Amino acid sequence: MINIENISFDHCIKCTICSMYCPVSQATHLFPGPKQSGPDAERLRIKNPELVEASLKYCTNCKRCEIVCPSDVKIAEIIQAAKWKYLKIKFFRPRDFFMSRTDLVGGMATLVGGIVNFIIRLKIIKVIMHVFLNIPYQVKFPAYTKRTFRKVFDREYKIGQNAFTKQLIYFHGCYVNYNNNILGREFVQVMNALGYGIKIKKQKCCGVPLIANGYIEKARKNARYNIMSHTVSDTDLQIVATSSSCTYALMHEYSSFLKLNNSGISGRVEYATKFIYREFLSGNIPPMKPLGIRAAYHSPCHLERMGGVIHTLGVLKMIPGLELVVLNSECCGIAGTYGFKKENYKISLSVGKNLFSLIEKAEPEIVITDCETCKMQIEMNTGYKVLHPVTILFMALNT
Amino acid sequence: MIYDSLIIGGGLAGLVCGIRCVSSGLRTAIISGGMNSLHFSSGSIDIAGYSPEGKIIRKPFDYLKQTIKENRGHPYAKAGMRTIRESIKFITEILEGQNIRLNHNSDYNHFHITALGTLKPTYLSQESVFSSGVKDILHSGEKIAILNFKGFRDYYPEQTAVNIKKHSLFRNREIMMGNISLPYYLETERNIHEFRSVDIARIFETERYLPRIAEEIKKASPGAVAVSLPAFIGINNYSAIRKKLCEMTGKFIYEIPVLPPSILGLRIDHALKNSFISLGGEYIAGDKAVSGFITNNSVEFLSTSNSGNVPLDSRFYVLATGSFFSGGLMAGYERISEPLLDLKIKSEKNRNRWYSDKFFDRKSHPFLGFGVETDNNLSPFTQNGKIVKNLLCAGSVLSGYNPVKEGCGGGVAISTGFKCAERIIRELKK
Repeated sequence: MINIENISFDHCIKCTICSMYCPVSQATHLFPGPKQSGPDAERLRIKNPELVEASLKYCTNCKRCEIVCPSDVKIAEIIQAAKWKYLKIKFFRPRDFFMSRTDLVGGMATLVGGIVNFIIRLKIIKVIMHVFLNIPYQVKFPAYTKRTFRKVFDREYKIGQNAFTKQLIYFHGCYVNYNNNILGREFVQVMNALGYGIKIKKQKCCGVPLIANGYIEKARKNARYNIMSHTVSDTDLQIVATSSSCTYALMHEYSSFLKLNNSGISGRVEYATKFIYREFLSGNIPPMKPLGIRAAYHSPCHLERMGGVIHTLGVLKMIPGLELVVLNSECCGIAGTYGFKKENYKISLSVGKNLFSLIEKAEPEIVITDCETCKMQIEMNTGYKVLHPVTILFMALNT
Repeated sequence: MIYDSLIIGGGLAGLVCGIRCVSSGLRTAIISGGMNSLHFSSGSIDIAGYSPEGKIIRKPFDYLKQTIKENRGHPYAKAGMRTIRESIKFITEILEGQNIRLNHNSDYNHFHITALGTLKPTYLSQESVFSSGVKDILHSGEKIAILNFKGFRDYYPEQTAVNIKKHSLFRNREIMMGNISLPYYLETERNIHEFRSVDIARIFETERYLPRIAEEIKKASPGAVAVSLPAFIGINNYSAIRKKLCEMTGKFIYEIPVLPPSILGLRIDHALKNSFISLGGEYIAGDKAVSGFITNNSVEFLSTSNSGNVPLDSRFYVLATGSFFSGGLMAGYERISEPLLDLKIKSEKNRNRWYSDKFFDRKSHPFLGFGVETDNNLSPFTQNGKIVKNLLCAGSVLSGYNPVKEGCGGGVAISTGFKCAERIIRELKK
C-alpha cells in the first residue's frame, strides 16, 4: 500500500522552512503550507484517503519547497500526487479541459488564423469567459500565430539543416509552435550560428498543463508518445528545449511523477542555455556585437529547481554590452494555467507583487526570463517587454 | 575556469566568504542544498561564551587571545586575532547596509534570553535583543512584562518567567505576564493556533495593524518599561517596524526567539543573501554538490545533482558544508567521514568515545569537535596526507572546536569564512 519509492516524507524534521518560503502560503492563509499539505498530511492520507482536503488545489507546484528543504523531502511531488490520486473528478470541466489541451486549442486556433486573437480580445467574450468559464476578465491570453512553428520550419529552414555536420533535436513545445514561432526561428538561427543543424521529431504537449489540471492519463499518453517519437531514430542526438518547464517534465516528471521509463531521453534532454553554455565553454563562441541594453533577469521556479539558472546567467554574462540586474529569486505567481483561473487570480497577483516591485526598482529596459508563462504574467502586470535568453543571444548575433 | 571562487554551502561561513570574495571583484558562486542553519539559530552571534570548565566568559577577546596562544589547532588560531576582528567589523557593516543593526557591549559579552528563560552569553545581537536601552532597563530595576499572542502555541511566557527569575539579574525584579490578541487579519480562515511565528511576522510586515497592536501591548503591560514578545515583529522591514512600535507604546520592545524557523536568524540570512546577490554573486539554491575530483592535489571540478555534463569549475573552492546535520560530515558505523571529497578527518577511533551518555552533559559531546583537519591556512588534507591546494574549509565542517560547549559557532563561521576569502583574494592577485 505504501509506495516505497517516495517515502521521503519520513525525512521531514518539521522545521517549517518550506512553509516559510512557499509563495502561496505567503499570499493566502487558505493554503496551510507545503509542510502540512505534504509530508504531514501524507501519513494520514496513506491510512485514510478521505482525509484529503480541498486546500491541496492551492499548491501551484512551483517546487520552491523542494529547493529550500534541508532534508531533501520531495514535498511538491507528494502534494502533486495526492492532489489527483485521491480526488476523483466526475464532471466535465470545460475550462480546465480546454486550458490543458494546448495541442487541440492551439491547432484549431492557428488553423483559423487571426480571428481567434480578435475574438479573444473582445470585451463581450471576456465577460462571457469570466462569468461562464471562470476565467478572470483581467487576464490576457497570448496571441496565436497564423502559422505554426512546424510549418515555418518545414518551409523556411528544413532544407538547409543537413548542411551542418553536427545535429540536434529541437523540442519546441506548444508555446513556440502555436504562440511564438519567432522564438523558434531565433533558436534555429542561433544553433546554426553555433554550427548545429536542427531536426524536429513529432511531438505532443509535454504534459505539464495536463498534470496541473488533473488529466494524468492523458499526460501519460502524451509522454509515451514523446518518448517514443524521440527514441525511434537519431538516439545519439541531444534533445534541446527552449521551455524550462517542458525540459523539467521530459527529464524528471515523466519518470518521477508519471512513472514512465524515460531513460531513452532523460539523459539527452537539455535546456537551451545549458547546451549553449557548454558550447561557449568549449570555445565555440560566435562573434557578437555589443547590445547596449540594461535588462533585469528573473529566474523561473522550475529552472531553479533543475539548477539551470547558472547556465542562463553564464550565457547572458558572455554577451557584450548587456547590463544585467539579477533579481532576487521570487515566484511570479502564474504557475502555468493557475493564474488564468478566477479562483486563483487574486492569489496569483499577490504572489507576483514582490517580483513586480523588484522589476520596477531595477529600472531595466527589458526583462529576461526563460519561461513562457512567467513572461505572460510579467507582461500583463508590469508593462515591461519580456524576452527569452535565446532571443537576447540572437540579437547579439545579428544587430 | 568558470569561477574564481566556488563555495559549497550557503550558511553563515559560506555567505560571509562569498560576500567578501564578490565584493573584491571575484566571480563567485555559492551552492546551497536546502536552507541553512541560520533558520534555526538565535540570530545572535557568539564569539566565545564558555570556558573549558563551563564558566561564562565575560570578555571574549581576552579569552580568544589565550586560546590562540594555547590551542594552535583551534580554528580561531588559524584565523588569527586580526582576521577575527576584521570579520566581525565586516559582517556588522554588511548587515548595517541591509538595515540590520548588530549591537555589542564593547569588549564584554551580553546575555540573550531563550524561550525557556535561560540566559546565554553572546557577543553580537540585534537591537531588539541588546542595546544601550537594555542596559538602562537592567540597571533601573523597573517592572518588565513578558507577553504572548493569545493562542500562539509555539511559546509559553510562564516558562520564560519562572526560569528567568532564577537568574541574579532578574531575581528581585517585578515581572508580569500577559497576552495580546491578534487583530482580525485579511480573510483568515485558519485559527491562530495554527500560526507559526512566520505567519505573524508577515502580519507585522504589512504595518496595517501596528497602532492596534501597540494599544494591545500598552493594555497588557501597565507600568512596565520593557515588553518582550516572541520574535516576530517583521522580517525585512523589522527595524522600522520595531522603532514605530517602541514610539507608539513608549516601551522597549524585546524579542525572544521561538520555534523554527527563527525570525531573528532568517533576518540575517535574508540580509546576507541579498547583499551577496546584489553585489553580483551567483547563488545556486536547491542543488547539492555530489562529487568532486582531486587530481595532483587540487580539486579539478565539482559535480552537483543538477550539473550533468557541465560540471562546475573554479580556481578556488571553499568547503563550508557544515557539520552532521547539514551533511558536511557523516557518521558511519566505524568512522566519521567527509562525504564530498573524503578529506582527512580528525575524530575518535572508538565509537564509544564519540558521545557522552548524558544528553545535556556539561562537557558536551565529543563528536561536536570532530571535523576536517586543515593546515594553518585552512586547506585540508587528502587521506594520504597531501594538502589540497585550491580547497579551503570554513565553518562547522572544521575540527578542533566544539561550538556548543564553547559557544563560538558564529564567530568561527564568520572568521574562517572571511579568512578563506582573504586568502583566495591574495593568491589570485599574485
